[in-house]
Amino acid sequence: MENPVETIGAASARIARLAAIRVMLCAVAPALTAIALGLFLEPIGELTWTRYGYALAPGRESLLSLGLIGAGFVVMLAGLVMAFRAYRRDHDFLAAAAELDDRLECDQQIVTFATLANPASLDSGRARRTPLFPVLWRRAIALFGGLDVRQEFRLEVGEPLKRSSMLAGVVALAMVLATLGLVRAPTPEDREAAKLRAIAEMIAKTSTDADDAALAGKIREAADALENPKLPPEEKKKRIEDAMREAKHAAEKRNNNEAGKNQAAGKSAAQSGKGNGKSQGQGTSSGTGSGQGKSGTGAGQNAGGNNPGPGKGGSGNNSGKNQGGNASAKNDKNDQNKSNASNIQLQNELAKAEAQVETANAKNPGPDSTPGNEQKQSGANKPGDKTDQNKTGSQLDPNKAGDMPKPGANGNRNIPSAGGGNPKDNRDMGSNMGDTHLGEMPTSTNAQRFLKPGEKGSTVDIKDARYVMFRLPGAAASSGNGGKTVLDSDRPTATTAYVNAPLAPTSDDAPPDERQLVPPRYRDMIH
Amino acid sequence: MGAAPQQASPDQRVADFRKIFSRAESEVARVIVGHREIVRKLLTALFCGGHILIEGVPGLGKTLMVKAASETLGLSFKRIQFTPDLMPSDIIGTQVLTESDGHREFQFKPGPIFAHMVLGDEINRATPKTQSAVLEAMEEHQVTVFGNTYVLDPPYIVLATQNPIELEGTYPLPEAQMDRFIFKVVMGSPKPDELREILNRTTGTAQNKIQPLFEPARAAQAIENLKALVREVMVAEPLERYIISVIGGCTPGGPGAIPEVSQYLRFGPSPRGAQALILCAKVNALLAGRVSVSYDDIDDAIVPCLRHRLLLNFQAEAESVTAESILEQVIKRLKKPRT
Repeated sequence: MENPVETIGAASARIARLAAIRVMLCAVAPALTAIALGLFLEPIGELTWTRYGYALAPGRESLLSLGLIGAGFVVMLAGLVMAFRAYRRDHDFLAAAAELDDRLECDQQIVTFATLANPASLDSGRARRTPLFPVLWRRAIALFGGLDVRQEFRLEVGEPLKRSSMLAGVVALAMVLATLGLVRAPTPEDREAAKLRAIAEMIAKTSTDADDAALAGKIREAADALENPKLPPEEKKKRIEDAMREAKHAAEKRNNNEAGKNQAAGKSAAQSGKGNGKSQGQGTSSGTGSGQGKSGTGAGQNAGGNNPGPGKGGSGNNSGKNQGGNASAKNDKNDQNKSNASNIQLQNELAKAEAQVETANAKNPGPDSTPGNEQKQSGANKPGDKTDQNKTGSQLDPNKAGDMPKPGANGNRNIPSAGGGNPKDNRDMGSNMGDTHLGEMPTSTNAQRFLKPGEKGSTVDIKDARYVMFRLPGAAASSGNGGKTVLDSDRPTATTAYVNAPLAPTSDDAPPDERQLVPPRYRDMIH
Repeated sequence: MGAAPQQASPDQRVADFRKIFSRAESEVARVIVGHREIVRKLLTALFCGGHILIEGVPGLGKTLMVKAASETLGLSFKRIQFTPDLMPSDIIGTQVLTESDGHREFQFKPGPIFAHMVLGDEINRATPKTQSAVLEAMEEHQVTVFGNTYVLDPPYIVLATQNPIELEGTYPLPEAQMDRFIFKVVMGSPKPDELREILNRTTGTAQNKIQPLFEPARAAQAIENLKALVREVMVAEPLERYIISVIGGCTPGGPGAIPEVSQYLRFGPSPRGAQALILCAKVNALLAGRVSVSYDDIDDAIVPCLRHRLLLNFQAEAESVTAESILEQVIKRLKKPRT
């Protein structure tokens, strides 16, 4: 025989626990949704707004992400607090008795019993008891006979989960609305900043070097500056130039290290290859240098072949013996190629960013930029300056075909060398080959134009060009530091006003057309 | 059958109460055809220690019913026909100068009010002075004559009847006096089947004899024991709050008063109404075999306990709104507290 007071107490505790669990269930889904959205905001962005050409400013994105995660934790915390309060609220002896009374249909006998036997107010309950109380006690025992509190009060998750999913939907909707409010079409500067940031991330991930970390930091600063509309262009340029300097510094350092390694490798290869051939290779070319010092044939592979310096490659007699050296040299070469490529890409992006800043500055001249300055900086033609209209870059004669890139002269200068060499020689010496991936933006110096109808001259040779940049006739040449669109004065203009052609005159005297169309199904009947 | 002794177990006492009540209903039903609800209310009022006001036209068997009930329970019975010239001394009794052993002295001669069950027939025909004499006895269970107080023997119950017709020259009971009746029951005309049964029983030779439940010497004590049992029935705190909310809900301008109450009532029930509700609900609980009151017990008691305590205003009378309809609205709209 179980004590009915204990039964009611157990029911009270059970009801309180279930209430707390239900409240927590309500809070879990929105909290987890908010946290998940915050954590995966970037991939979600890639799948949604980035895919359609929109962007969130990184500051805002991180703010939104942090906000969502924070909101998730706040909801979780609020859920915990509310669950605790629900537990405290529902841990009520009389309420549990009322609930049991309802479920067992006891006509308030359990409630009356609980009122008189409530452990919280035992004295007042005892004072109210009458000689009939034992009858009530026995009734309560009989009514609770076979009652399993755990079975009677089960956790029903359906309703809390439904509520929870609705709240999660609200959170997701709020996130969507917030995103819609924050997302915008990215400006070219934003795109450049994003690229720079990606490069910085890659550098930070792939390297543990302090210099690389510093470089990544500089790049991020440059990206931040690029995106900051409040920052003056000069400041932006300064940050970008800082990053460029840092990139060059890192590249030089890396190349020096590699050159040292190559020297060591060359020495060992030369030592092992003694006797069969003197292999002295003095590479002086930029970018393709095979490394100074003695090297075996394997270590001194010149990729470009455009080596004006006196270089005598060793004969292949000792090539078989130098396989080990070749292998290590190849690995180093691959690594260096990668780092060089990324460095070049970085410099290229920085240059683009700088150009974007200048372009933006030219479009929206600030108080400091005067028209004269603008002309000087951009080198763009003034609108209406007819003498420059057909002039493209350095080409003086407009009827003459443009300069052609000469293979071997400039074309391979930016190809990263395999064997190291002087990093200074690796730099683009101010020229460009129309390859934006190899150093800098294309400039007007190597621009060519197609021949006009009837014009004679050498045709455009784009054989070795990697990129061909077309310019519409209305656009003026740019100096490479950005361009400026000018009016196309050559475009034929209409001399007469466009009007609707008059309708053919109608005559009321003309006889009416009496012919009638015969429906097709009757045509065979007419002979 | 004797009354349940106090030494009996609580379960036995509860069982005895139900049995006695049921048998009393059956015995009264031997002579009274129909009106089972009124008989039930009569017995309930007796066990609650209250008085009952029966409203009905003459000839419905009111006097017979009360007489049958007293005979069943073995209690003394007196009937007073109220008339305009009835004096309080005619009811209460008076001092009579008597001579014995050469001494003359005033001796109190008790009136018809000195009985266990008193039927005040057509109470509204007596003057307010006479009415108040009865009502004092109802409330105090005692009468005072020439400075001497005489206690009425318990159990004491007054069953007053009121004729709703022929109201000319009558003195309707004032509200304060109506409040002293625990119930007001309305006796309607018998149904055809009941009327046929009445004719069969009263116009033939057969006589239905009532078997008293108690011996007259023990009847009063037995009834008092049962009344004590009623008061031992327990009421939970939430149910007490519900009763309070019912009283508040029926009081114009009271807490939780519904719009109809404010619109149609002049006055609501007094605390006596709440006492009546609880006592009646306790009897209902015992009759259901419980020792604690339920919400259903209270709801069943609301209309008979409170309908004569609501004072309708002119608008209610003009729109034929009854106290019963207002009480039913109150029952429907009031929330029953769980804890």
